Parts: sequence; structure tokens; C-alpha cells
Amino acid sequence: MIRRTALPISRRAALTALGAGATLAALFPRVRPLRAAPAPAKYFIGVYMPHGMAREFWVPKPGFQIAYEGSSLAPFDDAATYGRSFRDQIVALEGLDHTAGLRSATVGHDASRVILTGSGTNGQNASIDQFLAIEQGLGHDTPLSSLVLGVGSAEPALQWCISYAKGGTALPKIINPLATFNHAFGQFLVDPDPLAVARAAREQRLGKSLLDYWTTDLAELRTRAPQAERDKLDQHATALRELEKRVVGQAVTCAVPPPPDGADFPAVGSYQGGEPYFDAISNLQIDLMVQALACGVTHVSTLFLADLSRTHFDAGLPEDVHTDVAHRYASPGRGGTGGEPTSQAKLARQNHYTYSKIARILQRLGEAGLLEQTVLVAMSDMGDPSKHSSRQVPALLAGGWGGALRAGRHIDLGAEGTPSNRLLVSVQQAFGVESDSYGQSVDPSILSGALTLT
Amino acid sequence: MTFAKAVCSALLALSLSCGTAAPSSGSGAPEHVLEPTLRRLSTAELEATAQTLIGNGTTLAAALPPDARQSDYSRNVAQSVDSLLLGQLFDATRSATNTLDLSRAQFPSCARSALAADRACAETTVTALARSAFRRTPTAPEVEQLLGLFTVGAEGADFEGGIALVVRGLLGSPKFLYATTLGEGAPGSNRLSNEELGSELSLLISGQPPDDTLLLAASRGELVSGAARELQALRLLQQPQSRDLYLRFVQEWLGLIGLNGLAKSSQVVSDFPTLRQAMVSETSQFVGDVFSHRAGSVAALLAGRYSIVPDTLAGFYGIQPSAPETRVDLSGLGRVGILQQASFLATFAHESESAPVLRGKAVLTRLLCLDFPKPTDLGIDIVFPAADPNATTRERYARHATDAACRGCHATLDGAGFVFENFDAAGRLRTSESGRPIDTSGSIQLDGKLVTLTDSAALSNALANSEQVRQCAARQVVRFAAGRSDVEVEQAFVDSLKTKSAERRGTFLGLFLEFVKSDWFAWRKPQ
Repeated sequence: MIRRTALPISRRAALTALGAGATLAALFPRVRPLRAAPAPAKYFIGVYMPHGMAREFWVPKPGFQIAYEGSSLAPFDDAATYGRSFRDQIVALEGLDHTAGLRSATVGHDASRVILTGSGTNGQNASIDQFLAIEQGLGHDTPLSSLVLGVGSAEPALQWCISYAKGGTALPKIINPLATFNHAFGQFLVDPDPLAVARAAREQRLGKSLLDYWTTDLAELRTRAPQAERDKLDQHATALRELEKRVVGQAVTCAVPPPPDGADFPAVGSYQGGEPYFDAISNLQIDLMVQALACGVTHVSTLFLADLSRTHFDAGLPEDVHTDVAHRYASPGRGGTGGEPTSQAKLARQNHYTYSKIARILQRLGEAGLLEQTVLVAMSDMGDPSKHSSRQVPALLAGGWGGALRAGRHIDLGAEGTPSNRLLVSVQQAFGVESDSYGQSVDPSILSGALTLT
Repeated sequence: MTFAKAVCSALLALSLSCGTAAPSSGSGAPEHVLEPTLRRLSTAELEATAQTLIGNGTTLAAALPPDARQSDYSRNVAQSVDSLLLGQLFDATRSATNTLDLSRAQFPSCARSALAADRACAETTVTALARSAFRRTPTAPEVEQLLGLFTVGAEGADFEGGIALVVRGLLGSPKFLYATTLGEGAPGSNRLSNEELGSELSLLISGQPPDDTLLLAASRGELVSGAARELQALRLLQQPQSRDLYLRFVQEWLGLIGLNGLAKSSQVVSDFPTLRQAMVSETSQFVGDVFSHRAGSVAALLAGRYSIVPDTLAGFYGIQPSAPETRVDLSGLGRVGILQQASFLATFAHESESAPVLRGKAVLTRLLCLDFPKPTDLGIDIVFPAADPNATTRERYARHATDAACRGCHATLDGAGFVFENFDAAGRLRTSESGRPIDTSGSIQLDGKLVTLTDSAALSNALANSEQVRQCAARQVVRFAAGRSDVEVEQAFVDSLKTKSAERRGTFLGLFLEFVKSDWFAWRKPQ
């Protein structure tokens, strides 16, 4: 069970309670806080990887060799590119199934929903990032409770999201780095011009009045709302609280980075001309994400690396990676024989590319000194993509997990398939949440039990 | 003919005269009713009110996150106000209200020259604006609250500054953002309040906030009567905004919204983005025409034997450009309705090849309301047919017919999908593939009979005359209106239509009118 302990009230929170937040705080009491003792892990990053995984070029060789010819994990042992090797900061975790999806017909591409929620399409629980940020308070005292990012597709739709609000609604993603910058840092830009200062003071006054007005309206609506609609209004209250933090203004602990140059990415959408810029966009999203963590803007972020097809980033791959690589992957599966090594090598190259982006995240986290306290989980919706299989989906765990992860190794949970819910149980426990289950399923047996990661 | 007259004339075909009430339905709660909900408005609905309030051409929707959809419909009760939406709405409304043109029609005439201290004009103005935003007349305390915002905004600024803050307040208010169907909660019954009836009617028929006539009818309690609701809906249907909403409904129903999220191989078409715009344009004009002149006839949509083809698409179709807005008969090219328009064919196809399974599934699920499990749900591994330069797509999918595990579903899916094989991945007509002739034969189980098909035109003709399709259309209307799937209410509505004329059951305008006047529109489960 989660220990219930009052969250210490910060001076900022006390001041806020006197202003616009007073009514809100009274009507929407904050949910169960984290335990009083500081949780060892402080930052959570979840990453979605497209196109499934080529196991043949993913499994480390004996001695945790990951830089062998063709290995998709090689970016994590590439000091020349990333400044250092992150071999001792990752775990290659094998043997997970998206079992909650298999039990609820949420498989194939739809299983992206299962990665962080541990539940299928009818699940009402939040994904673990939102659970930690909102329900466990990890995002209460930061300007943004979380930063939900993507590349290519902003759609809050089943196959395009890993972050879900409590109640089961997919959360929209920011896919334009300029919007990411404005969302995360725009409020901290200070123009010293006296006229600008006066404008900002007026805008703050107006903003507080609006918040008061909306808060009162929401409270009135809540008194009439059916029980089934309460989650929705709780989420709205959370959004108001977040806006209040922005309007009232909060200090950040670092210099605000310069805004991205929009000329570097004239288009951002999948199939809307954005493909040639996805590499630059991914890098900017990653850099802004880690800067937001480093600046204390948020402690929680997810990144949905959508299709990443037709980008021409790898001359050795066909134009249409989705159809001509993922769909053509031919693998015998664990313990089988046959398959087509060429098709496996191609998918591994695509996986390698995606992992290179995660290596960049680790590089930036390392530079910011955040690596030890970060829990990073990266997974695809599928193992074998040509079979759209939700079984045997390799996971990459990275960061120090605040001591809850013994890294630098390959963990094989076996061919029978372990529910991915158990990974989520381990994640929440790394943040001090003393619960032994995560997710929802018609089969409760799949929800419980942490993995042994230390 | 003006737009209003055209629609009126189409409605006459529904055995109605514009302005005459139809018989009311019953007055008690039906057996199966929808849940009471708070539905967050779609971005298009947000935009419509923002335009009404601000009216300076500023668009908010582009700044907001896309809608989360249900069955592809953006009217979705599962949508919520998350941090990203609220933050972006906050920023977008601030920018949009930087300057307001108070001489515009939505503002009372006193606003043009009012001073910040003119409280009487402020009250008149905020009351008018709140009527649009709340979709009802605001109460006196609500007006007082808004005047409080006006005072803060006008302080150190001017009248316009005060109104600007009120507009921002309204566009972020939960009373605006949620369309409520909570009902009055009287013991033993739960009919929508008068105000909710007006709000729902306007949003469902025109996608707009209610106009003064509707607000008056609502405030007088007239909308309790199904006949009065129908009368109001008939009036709204003659406005161009209703045509726009109908177009959105059709695009969402048939999944055509997906067209913007896909690509075509350069080996199929050289400039797909330009072609895509032309495809959208063709379907928009065609659907608008069917709405205006055929009362949204299901049969005309499917097999009207005409289209309105933009110049940029004429070459792709292999025809000469025609004068704007001219109906062109393309049936000689195998294109008899919306299913043979490039927008549908390209949406349900892969990047470089046709997709008989996707096309068949689209027909069966969207037009017949059937459900199919995914292969992965059944534990079947999908094996994508290998490329074969010497085989047609149909030949490459032969395993669907020979493998017993596949055959169960694919005999049905592929039978409705192969008939489109004379259209490639982008919807271009073809007579051969890989040097081999195209076979467009297929079959479909329709109204309890197996119908043998020679091609997709035959499929469209069969669908156009099918009672099963008309019933599915009725279900889609309920799904769209309710913002969710409710199988029991859908079935009850379908059953209620059995005694209605074919014109009523076979046109979307007729179906929307039937739903609006029904008790399923007006009643909810008690909380």
C-alpha cells in the first residue's frame, strides 16, 4: 500500500493558497502524495519506439557486448559520438509481453497504449508518467506537471500515444519544437524593457482574474456532474492548477535556453512534409526535454517517436520503412530456425537509429548531472512487427533509477512471457510508491509483482 | 437557386413543408436512454464560438491540440480539458483578443464608442456574448461575475480591454467548454433542461451556438416538444453552417479525415500533397451538393452517378476539365459515388499498392456497421504478402481463401474489397496490374442475401438500395450525436424508424430530424 503522508507545504504553495488557488485547493484536494522521505528516483522519461524490434541484433553477446557488428544497441557503447559509453547505464530487458493488451484485444499498433498504462482500450487508469506526476505529486511543485512530446504525429489517438490521463483519455503531444520551447520556457523569458515589464504585470493580474473565474465555474459544474464524469473534471482542475503556476510565476533553477530556429524545420507533421526534418526535430525535442528537467520545469516527460518512415536518414534502408522493413521482417522467433537475416539486419538498422536518439537523451542527462536519478523506459508496441506481435517485446531501461536498477546487463525473463505490468510496478516502486500492482485487466493476476532489477 | 431554397426544396422531398411541424413523438422517457454527460466541445465547435465572439478571422483551432475521436467522430464525450489544451487555449485567446473590432455585428451598437466607465453598455455587451458562449441566457449572478472581469480588464486600459478579458473568460469557461446533457433531474425522469435542449439542437444540427430564435424557443420551454425541435432543426438546416457540419459528419463517418495523415509512394503519384487537396475538394463539393439538393440522401452519396471534379483532379481521372461546380457523370469510368472517389480509394490503400482488405473493411464496418476481430486478437500472425512483379494484388492475397484460419473473416472482407481492384493506391483507374488483367469480381452479404458483384459500381448500387445500409446510417447518426457508442440506443432508434418513409430513413437530413425530435435526443438516464 502507498503510505499516506502529508506533503510539506512549501512557501510557494502557501502563498499560492492565498490567491487564485484557494478555492481550487479546497474543492479538489490533492491526491495521495509521495512518501515524506525523498524518493530516490526523481525524473521519469518514457519513450515509444516504432516498428517493433529485431531480436536477432538486439540480444547482447556474452559479457554484455552491445557494440558488435549490426547491433541495434551499439549507440549505448559509442563514446566517440556520445562523449562516453552508457553501457553501464542500461539494462537490455527481454521476455516481456504486453499481456494486458493480449487480454483485451489491444494488440499490434494498439498496444502502444499498454506500454505505460498496463491496461487495454477500456482501461481507466493513467499511464505511469501521469500517475507519478499527478496522482503521486511528482509534478505538483514544478511549473509543468509533465511534458508530453512527440515527433511527427500530434494525434491523441490509440495508436499514437503512450501518455494517458486518469479516466483513460489519450493526451495530446507537442510535435513542434517551437511549441515545446514556448510551453516549457516561454513563461520564464524576461524582457527588461519597462513597458514589457508593465505589460507582464498586467497580464499576470488578468490571468489571476481569469483563473478565479474559471475555478468558480468548474466548482459549480462539479456539484452537478455525474460520478462517471468526475475524472474529467479532476483533469480539468489539474490543468487549471498548472496554468495557475504559469500565471503566478515560478522560479527556475537554470538559464533559459535559446529558442529553436524554426527555419530548421519548415514542416513538422507526418506526411505533411515534416519527414526530412524529423532528425533535427527529434534532437531539439530531446534537448528541450532534458533542459526542462534540468531547469526544474518538470520531472516527467514522454516522447513518442512516431513512424519515422520515409525520412531517408539511413541510405541503406528502403524509403518506406514501415512497409518495406517492418512488414518484411522475417524471424523464426525465439528458439526457432529460418527467417531472413537480411530483413532482420534492416530492422536492426532502424532500431539502431531510434536507440541513437535515446543515447542522446542519456548524453544530455549525463551532462546535466541527472542520470543517476532518472528512470528511463523505452519500448515498442510490438516484438516481431511483421506479425504485429505483442509478445516478447524487448525493453530498454536506462538511468540510475535512484539506485533501484543494477545496470550494465542483459536480463532475460524467459520465453513464456512476463506481463509488462511488472515493469511498471518496478518503476513506481523506484519512486517510492509502495504498491505491488499497476494497470487494469480482466485478469488481475497479471498486474502484480515487481521485477528483480537490483 | 439560393442555398436555403435548394435545401428547402430537398426537404420537401421528405414529405415535409418547410415551416410545418411534424407530429411529435411520445413525451415520456424511452426504455433505453443515453447516459448524462459533460461533452467537451470539439476544436471545430470551439472555433465556431470563438468566431462568433471575436469575429476577426482569427483561427484558434490551428493552435490547439487535435481532437481525440470516437469511431473517428470528433464529437466525443471522452474528450477532456488537459493542461496542454488549456495552456494553448489561454495563449491563443490572448493573441486573438489583442485587438477587437467593436463595430462588428456581434457587439451591441453602444460598444463602438463606449468608455471604460460605461457599465450599462458593458452589461449589455457581456450578456450578449455570454448568450453565445453559454448557449443560453446568462443568469444575473453570472453577468455580475463577467462584469467583474470587465472591470479588471478595463482598469488601466479601455472599454475594449474590458471586453477582451470577458471574451477570454468566456472561451475558457467550463460553462462554454462542456456541452452538458445532465437533465433537470426531476424524480423518476431526466429530461434535458430547456437550455440544454437548445444547446444540443444547435450543436448537432449546425455546429454553432444557438441563434436568438432558438434561444427564445428554448427559454419559452417550446423545445420540450419534439415537433418544435424538428421545426427549429428544419430552419437551421437551411443555413450554410449546417452543410459544413454535415460534410464533417460524412468525412468522419467514412474515415476520410485519415487522408491528411498518409502518403503515397512517388512511384504511384509524383505530387501527392497537391493531388490530395484536389481529392478533398471533390468530395467536399459532392457531399455539399448531396446535402443541398438531395437532403443528404444515402443512395445519392453511394450511387448518385455524378461528381463535381476540380480541374486539378480531371487529368488524374482521365477526363477533360469542366466548368466549376458542374456535375459530371463518371459512371462510364466505374465511378458512381463516393466510394469511387479518389479520396476514399486513396485513404483506404497502402503507400504503393491497393489495399483490398482495408477497402472491404471500410465498407463493411462503416456502411454496414459490422465488427471484425483483428487477426492478432485471434492469435493469427499477419503475413504481409510478398511483393511479386508477376502477380496481381488479388493473386498475392490468395492465401486468405485457402487458409482456413483466414477464410472465416476474409471471405467477407475480401469479397467487398477486391471489387475496387481497378483502382490503384491513389485511386487511379487501371485495367491491368503486373501485366495481368484485373479481376474486380466479388460478393457481399446484404439484407440477408448473397449479392454477386462485377465491380465496385455494382457494390455501390447494391448498397444504395440496402435497408441494412440505411439502418447503419441511422446508427451512425446516433453515434455522432451521442459522442459515444451506445448499442442499445442505436438499436432502439433503428427500430423506431420502421414505420417511417423511405425518404426519411434514407436521407441523413431525415435521420437527423428523426433523432432530434425523438425522446432519445431529449432524455437521459437519471443520475
